[in-house]
Amino acid sequence: MTHPEMNELYELYVLGALEPELASEIDSHLAEGCEYCVERLREATLAAAAMSGMSEQLEPPKYLRDRVLASVRPRKQSSQWLYAVAGLAAACVLLFAYSLWSMNTAQSLRDRISVLTQERDQLRSAVEVLSRPDTRMVQFGNNNAPRGRVFLSPDGGVVFAGSQLPQIASDKTFQLWLIPAVGPPESAGTFRANAAGEFVNVFPGPVNLTGINAVAVSVEPRQGSSAPTTTPILVVSIG
Amino acid sequence: MDAQSEVQLGEKLRNSDPDAIAEAYDLYGRIAYSLFVRITRDHSAAEDLVQELFLRLWNRRREFDATRGSIGPWLLSIARNMAIDYVRSAQTRFQSRLRPIDQTDTLHFSYKPNEPERLMDAVKAVQEALADLKPNQRKVLELAYFEGCSQSEIADRLKEPLGTVKSWMRAALERMRAAAKGEAKP
Ligand SMILES: [Zn+2]
Repeated sequence: MTHPEMNELYELYVLGALEPELASEIDSHLAEGCEYCVERLREATLAAAAMSGMSEQLEPPKYLRDRVLASVRPRKQSSQWLYAVAGLAAACVLLFAYSLWSMNTAQSLRDRISVLTQERDQLRSAVEVLSRPDTRMVQFGNNNAPRGRVFLSPDGGVVFAGSQLPQIASDKTFQLWLIPAVGPPESAGTFRANAAGEFVNVFPGPVNLTGINAVAVSVEPRQGSSAPTTTPILVVSIG
Repeated sequence: MDAQSEVQLGEKLRNSDPDAIAEAYDLYGRIAYSLFVRITRDHSAAEDLVQELFLRLWNRRREFDATRGSIGPWLLSIARNMAIDYVRSAQTRFQSRLRPIDQTDTLHFSYKPNEPERLMDAVKAVQEALADLKPNQRKVLELAYFEGCSQSEIADRLKEPLGTVKSWMRAALERMRAAAKGEAKP
């Protein structure tokens, strides 16, 4: 390729939109240290970065700045988990609202209260896990798959919360498993997702997390299983 | 943002001064967030990605040459890659083709010491120049930039001949390049 030919291609090159053969031709030319092209590459990089301006300019939520700063500052435990707790509480409220909505009118008031009490206790133990200094968080998932967070504390237990779990039959349940490097998976509780696929599972501690490499979710019969009976639909590495 | 403050920002980063992240966020947080939302179409994913982006900047803080302003273009290039990877994480094919900017040195993102850092000016100029593009030119640019499509993928998507796509792209990029360099309309 000649310089005038290459000149046209640097923005595409920087954007990764160039056909591979042309890109590798440019790679090898740049490797020779051509100063003209290094300069063009700088310009193209600036132009490509400036093209981010093609997106509609939005104002990020105010709390995001604190969240970003908290993630690089020396750990202050309370602010560290504040956002996680806020997110979890929101998920619990959703579950709560869903269970109210979905309750059969034939159910007795006592049943309703017992469900609500159970959920309140769940939220309490979740907050308990999240507020511990030894709690570790692992994020998982992406756009098109289950996503969320796992919180792990040897004393507090395990909180597993997120969204985008698939819908399952009413006689099935999700079951969370702790997967050790050696030995069989250990159950960390059964749970269901709401109609929107959102879920919170709290497995109270103390729990022995030594040697646990991953957590996994499988679909099991409603009462749960002592060992997974189906292939996990989700495995989150926590190593 | 002038060259001097970019240099100071680079120095603070290298000295592990956490204020550097606050300054970088104030400069580039908004545009990075907007870019993440545009590509992922998901506000909460965008928030997570913003956090991860500035964490990456922090983790690589020692690599920024204090005499060269280089942070903004680096951040926005990484941001674009992160967002496209996020959306396409199921498609490993794509990840292998995206230029692994994160692993390369920061050479491409550096500027001469006496050259003002013009990124935010360039962003504005690009925004204005968008109005000059024909709809087809804008479309091909958006597919390349926001979705990481190659020219032949764009041709497939739009059911247009590759040659046509290339000429739209060439015209669009020429306009963007001129705008980013601060040149008037060609
Ligand atoms: Zn050259």
